[in-house]
Amino acid sequence: PDRSSIPTPGTSDRHTDCQGCPPDATMGKDAARPEWDNPMQFVLACVSYAVGLGNVWRFPYLCQMHGGGGFLIPYMLMLVLLGVPLFYMELAIGQKMRLGSIGAWRAISPYLGGVGLASVVTSMYLCLYYNVINAWSFWYLFHSFQSVLPWAECPVNSNLTSPVEECERATPTQYFFYRETLDISGSIEENGGIHMGQALCLLLAWIIVYLFIVKGVKSTGKVVYFTATFPYLVLIIYLIRGVTLHGAINGMKYMFTPKMEQLANPTTWINAATQIFFSLGLGFGSLIAFASYNQYNNNFEKQAIIVSMVNSSTSIFASIVTFSIYGFKATFNYESCLERVRLLLLNTFDLAEDTISLENVNHWIAELNRTHPDQFASLGGRLETCDLEAELDTAVEGTGLAFIVYSEAIKNMPVSQLWSVLYFIMLLLLGMGSMLGNVIAVITPLSDLKFISRYMSTKTLNGLVCLFCLLLGLGFTTRSGNYWFTMFNDYGATFSLLFIVLIEVITVCYIYGIKRFEKDVEDMLGHRLNWYWKIMLAGVSPILLIALFIFYIVNYIQGGTPTYQAWNKELVRNLASGKRDQTYWLTDGVTQGRAATLWL
Amino acid sequence: MLVWILFLLCQVGAPALAQDLCQRDAPNGYKVRISLKTALGEDAYEWNQSEIFFFRATMAFAMRRHFQIETYNVDNIILCVQTSRVSFWFVVTSPDNATMLIPKAEVEKAVRISRHRINNAFLLSDRTLEFLGIHPTLAVPVNPDTPPWLIVFGVVIGAVCAGIIALLVSSLLQKRRKEKGMTEDGQDEEDMQVKGVENGINLDGTYNRGFTDNDRFTKL
Repeated sequence: PDRSSIPTPGTSDRHTDCQGCPPDATMGKDAARPEWDNPMQFVLACVSYAVGLGNVWRFPYLCQMHGGGGFLIPYMLMLVLLGVPLFYMELAIGQKMRLGSIGAWRAISPYLGGVGLASVVTSMYLCLYYNVINAWSFWYLFHSFQSVLPWAECPVNSNLTSPVEECERATPTQYFFYRETLDISGSIEENGGIHMGQALCLLLAWIIVYLFIVKGVKSTGKVVYFTATFPYLVLIIYLIRGVTLHGAINGMKYMFTPKMEQLANPTTWINAATQIFFSLGLGFGSLIAFASYNQYNNNFEKQAIIVSMVNSSTSIFASIVTFSIYGFKATFNYESCLERVRLLLLNTFDLAEDTISLENVNHWIAELNRTHPDQFASLGGRLETCDLEAELDTAVEGTGLAFIVYSEAIKNMPVSQLWSVLYFIMLLLLGMGSMLGNVIAVITPLSDLKFISRYMSTKTLNGLVCLFCLLLGLGFTTRSGNYWFTMFNDYGATFSLLFIVLIEVITVCYIYGIKRFEKDVEDMLGHRLNWYWKIMLAGVSPILLIALFIFYIVNYIQGGTPTYQAWNKELVRNLASGKRDQTYWLTDGVTQGRAATLWL
Repeated sequence: MLVWILFLLCQVGAPALAQDLCQRDAPNGYKVRISLKTALGEDAYEWNQSEIFFFRATMAFAMRRHFQIETYNVDNIILCVQTSRVSFWFVVTSPDNATMLIPKAEVEKAVRISRHRINNAFLLSDRTLEFLGIHPTLAVPVNPDTPPWLIVFGVVIGAVCAGIIALLVSSLLQKRRKEKGMTEDGQDEEDMQVKGVENGINLDGTYNRGFTDNDRFTKL
């Protein structure tokens, strides 16, 4: 019979010469294991997972802090030395063992099942609080369907004389986020009640996650076509809108001017390494879970490189968009400041309206100081200094960037409702994509456990996990929820992930053995590991990881008691008289930990 | 003759008297600031004597409206300290006694009542026609019965729940249909497998389950 009649090895045929595989992986059980419909779904799932909120709100911040265009050098270097090899390793393990993280690590060495368990616990932490960000995105999205965006102006107080006091002292966007969205209390001890709107949005977020995973990879595989690609569409639209905004060029110039002296700062390199590390989502077990649904001979090597490159390119692309928006916002604020100063001068000195224009404000300040010194002195603190550089220098990251700075920029754009809707849909898709990875990282190992899969179908298990996370996650919707969120964000995953991945690399290279790993990869791919992978996995990556680990320990010890920033509604704080304050946090000190979520 | 001299004195004296009543920081006066270029841009009209007359007439109208009497006239509104900003001070004299000023509080009330009419007369707004010291009342916030966000939320959550129910029900139906199908033509499926049907093409030969495609490792 000619070859076409011989069926190609499908789900039911397996290589029997699989060394080091648990018996289950090769017979019987395989036939039941669901699979991605095609390799494209797997790639899109990984892209959707890796490209998350961190690409939008952490990387631009790092770029700004560490010398603009110059930051790309340590970033790319760390990608090559650390990111791609570790990503490759996790995909290889998942595809080989065809089990979730607990089963896979137990298969590699029976004493190391704990590594898998640690991954599951970390993913569980992430599941609990990460969806709260999606709940906030939903809240903002639903509030965008109004004729005037609610964060555009302050609400008026009860006797209609002036805006609400708390809003006067802060900005309308801050007021909307801290008071109306979070209804934040003064400290982590004051619990308050659950914010019903937030709870509803969290419920919706979890229902949508359930909808995406209800049928396992069959449903997830279809969903990722959308969650992976639509954010790019929105980013492109925003790029076009962003670069055409007035003042965007200021932001882009600011970002791309490289400050090479930053490269001498070790923090730059450490931040580049941690950004790559956390952005790719290593150590959570999601990549192992995704890869476990692959076909045995899937070419994950090419895919690992593609996904890592796409992730990094998206970061750079998103930071172009972010900086053009920054530039717009900074220019807008600067020109508003100039306008205020101009009015102040006109009103104090009773000059005709067209004598002072925005361009010659500074010239007139000097002039009036010279000609009417007494009257000028009477202005006192009301005269603001307007500085474009200072506006651009205000670097913000995390939820502050996404929900305060961005929404402030959006409210000043024409047709702001449309831009607001688009932006929050993008945030939602990015967050949901990452959330899928987190939930699958928890569910896959659980469904691999025999005593669970015997009594429960996948749908019931998925439903129970979602329900459990929803109920515990309600704690983050209380009035002190944001403080708990920050605590989980800063300390929940950072340290443990470094440790997990360090153990993973050492296990695979030295305990399991790089030779066995090589043979397994050859079994799957058909060609041997080339020297790049071997050197990186066995040598460079572990050294870099150990260095990062030591840095974190040292930093943590030196940081003293961890502190957090709280919102104090009674306190009146103006940094410089007359100058608008960017944040109204009562600073007790900056929290020392660095947040893992901010990167995913 | 004497009457003629007295009359002349009055003509000269009246404005001087008026000037004493109206001055910068007058206790019963208000400062008005007008920003024509900001409000109207290219279409801004020139602030000249006729406009000043119009302003005085509008203020007299406001006073009439407030007190509900028709004795107020343009002469009762006195302007002074006019600048090129376009700002000036004004005071209101009583129609019965030209030396007596109307108290500040009454003037404020009158302005508040007719603020909208005054603004419209000059094509300006609360922000561009300022009475320093009289704060504009802010607009009443519109409070819909159902917050709009709740409506959108309801739509989305309804759609998602419908989607989940549809998925669950369809998979349930599929399972039931497969179970029914298995008992009826389970025989056919096995036969097809055995006969080696590939892509619907009926081929001769049996399906060799022991076959594995190893030849990329097998070197001859």
